[in-house]
Amino acid sequence: MILSSVSPLTILWGVLILGVLGIVFGVLLVFASIFFHVEEDNRIDEVAKLLPQANCGGCGYAGCHDLAEAIVKGEVTKVSTCKVGKKEKNFDPIIAYMSTHPDKDGTKHVPTL
Amino acid sequence: MAYFTAFILAIISGMLINNVLLSRFYGICSFVGVSNKLKNAFWMGVAVVVVIVLAALICYPLYMLLDAAGISFLRTVVFILVIASLVQFLSFVIKKYSPTLYKAFGIYLPLITTNCAVLGVVEENAASHAADFGAAMANALGTSLGYLVVIVLFSAVRARLETNNVPRAFKGLPIALIVAAIMAMAFTGMKGMA
Repeated sequence: MILSSVSPLTILWGVLILGVLGIVFGVLLVFASIFFHVEEDNRIDEVAKLLPQANCGGCGYAGCHDLAEAIVKGEVTKVSTCKVGKKEKNFDPIIAYMSTHPDKDGTKHVPTL
Repeated sequence: MAYFTAFILAIISGMLINNVLLSRFYGICSFVGVSNKLKNAFWMGVAVVVVIVLAALICYPLYMLLDAAGISFLRTVVFILVIASLVQFLSFVIKKYSPTLYKAFGIYLPLITTNCAVLGVVEENAASHAADFGAAMANALGTSLGYLVVIVLFSAVRARLETNNVPRAFKGLPIALIVAAIMAMAFTGMKGMA
């Protein structure tokens, strides 16, 4: 057994130091994310939730969030730009969502399949 | 005074003679990925300088702590934790103050986390056990400034390449990699100076 040569103290220190560091950095990042919060169109998050969240980059954008932004802004007019999405699961809900949520000035960017 | 001279010499040696990109071949992916525009390349270099210097600053005492507790084998995990947190923090800051730069960096900003130049510096600092804090910081500054200088030079060359008539088979990345190779050969001329 490899473990028998490891003293319990080593394990204790390892868990303790790594755990404390993880918590400290996590808490700092939470505060940083609140302090550096950027106001964004909340539709982008809603559309991103409807995408497969594979973040594969197959659409040519850096991730699902970026594609969602392009859909909301009307830069992408075909939801099938997303290569891994399914019609019933992803594309239909996005089209339905975008047709009921126009821009502030009333213009609609409804994508097609 | 002698200490100060050694500090400056160590920075210059890390920056030019043992350049991260061209003689140690660390961090090539962001080097090729973000060097197509001079401005983006410069700010990518600055981001890497900030991450490397801060990471070295934080990791130095942490390694002492790990060593004292007898768990120095955990250093890679701890270093990655520190670097990932720093990069995440930096991405918040950039997103807040320069959305265009955030867009231009794209995937390469989170990829600083796995940039081997960053981990390389803190690992080297940890490996040279007896090295004092000054030497560790000189290594960090030298390496990161070397990255900044070379990525800026490289992107300037690439800007010239865009307008030149490059054979179709070499357009884009292939010619960029050849340029990097020629630059690396030029940098070997500085080997043995210090």
